[in-house]
Amino acid sequence: MGLASEEEVSILMCIRKHNTEVEQAILEAEMTFEDLATSQAMSPPPELKAAIWNKISSQETTNSSPLEPQVEDSAVIHELPSSATEKPIRSLASRNWAIAASILLVASIGANIFYHNQSINDQDILVQALVENQSTQQELQHFQEKWKLLQDPVIKTVTLAGVEQHPQLKAHVFWNTKTTDVYLSLENLPAAPKGKQYQLWAMVDGKPVDAGVFPLGKTDQVTIMHQIPKAQAFAITLETIGGNPTPDLTQLYVMGNT
Amino acid sequence: MSPIHHLEEETLISLLQKKDQRAFNYLYDHYAGALYGIVIRIVSIKEYADEVIQDVFVKIWRYIDSFDAARGKLYTWIINIARNSAIDYVKSKSVQNEQKNQSLPDIVDVKEKHNFSVSTQVDHIGFKNVLNELRAEWRELIEMAYYEGYTQQEIAEKLNIPLGTIKTRTRGALLELKRILKEYE
Repeated sequence: MGLASEEEVSILMCIRKHNTEVEQAILEAEMTFEDLATSQAMSPPPELKAAIWNKISSQETTNSSPLEPQVEDSAVIHELPSSATEKPIRSLASRNWAIAASILLVASIGANIFYHNQSINDQDILVQALVENQSTQQELQHFQEKWKLLQDPVIKTVTLAGVEQHPQLKAHVFWNTKTTDVYLSLENLPAAPKGKQYQLWAMVDGKPVDAGVFPLGKTDQVTIMHQIPKAQAFAITLETIGGNPTPDLTQLYVMGNT
Repeated sequence: MSPIHHLEEETLISLLQKKDQRAFNYLYDHYAGALYGIVIRIVSIKEYADEVIQDVFVKIWRYIDSFDAARGKLYTWIINIARNSAIDYVKSKSVQNEQKNQSLPDIVDVKEKHNFSVSTQVDHIGFKNVLNELRAEWRELIEMAYYEGYTQQEIAEKLNIPLGTIKTRTRGALLELKRILKEYE
């Protein structure tokens, strides 16, 4: 681990103090590693304990009073009798700093991870909100178009009700009797299965007249179909993509009289 | 001096600072296993681990006055001492190897050696490796960052993966690790 400068350390400490979330994230990471250490513990060889204590106490016996922490420093001085008194103390302090800095660096990585993730989350939420907003806008536009059609006195609304096999289904044809324009709103018809497309038919004097296929993937929109000057009824069948010249009546979904 | 069976962290720290042998005994009895587990995973070889763990306790003893409770728990502090000591040890060993073996300058790849010895030495000893329960890509990250001391930037370069991905994965790995460890409790 590298060293964090004194400035970086104090910045991190400041962040930790003022941001409980960062503090929490750091504590959690620390705890995870504590638990990891505990769960992966292995007993060192039994003779080591005494060996370490001997090492520690042999370093201490060079001091007259082991209870004085300052004397610890002079243990280092004893090992380096030729150097000046200040030097080892400084190196001890800098080693302390190194250890402290390393710990804080680990902590700062934790904070980094936390912040980075936080910002990724925020971005995700933002994108999600934008997409939602966009689709809501679109929906609103579609409703407004429909509403405009419904309000227009020259528009005749024909409700196509589900036939026997599809009693719940419903669609609307908005028929401009003046311009002969036909608009279709699929309402609750399910998305067309792969390779299929809904086709609108106008029943003119008992004969089905092709009024166009409903574009794929736009089921929630009101779509302009072929112009129909005269019709007694409208019906929708499911046909192969591109539509057929005559309707497949076994695939009749909804129909309604004008 | 009677042995101490339970100590609050504060008491332990102040006893350590007073250089009380009971504090050493307590610290050793409670934490030596955990620290040794970390060290042996980093240095891979038992003889090295025995050497490093001694150094770890000497350092804890010597630097306990610089421990600041406001900056974290004692356990985290000693874990970091153990990690850093072991990582430094591996680095100095690999430098020595490099100097000895000039004909193979690229052998510095500590990781390869490390992995090799982990599978041969350590698994042989038979310790459970919680990290094995992590997804391979996550385990690799934790091993590189935690046991080998690579920075995230270095890991990104080594694995040739964008730094952002490394960061996201590290976070994921930590969360998953936390979950796995919960199950162990």
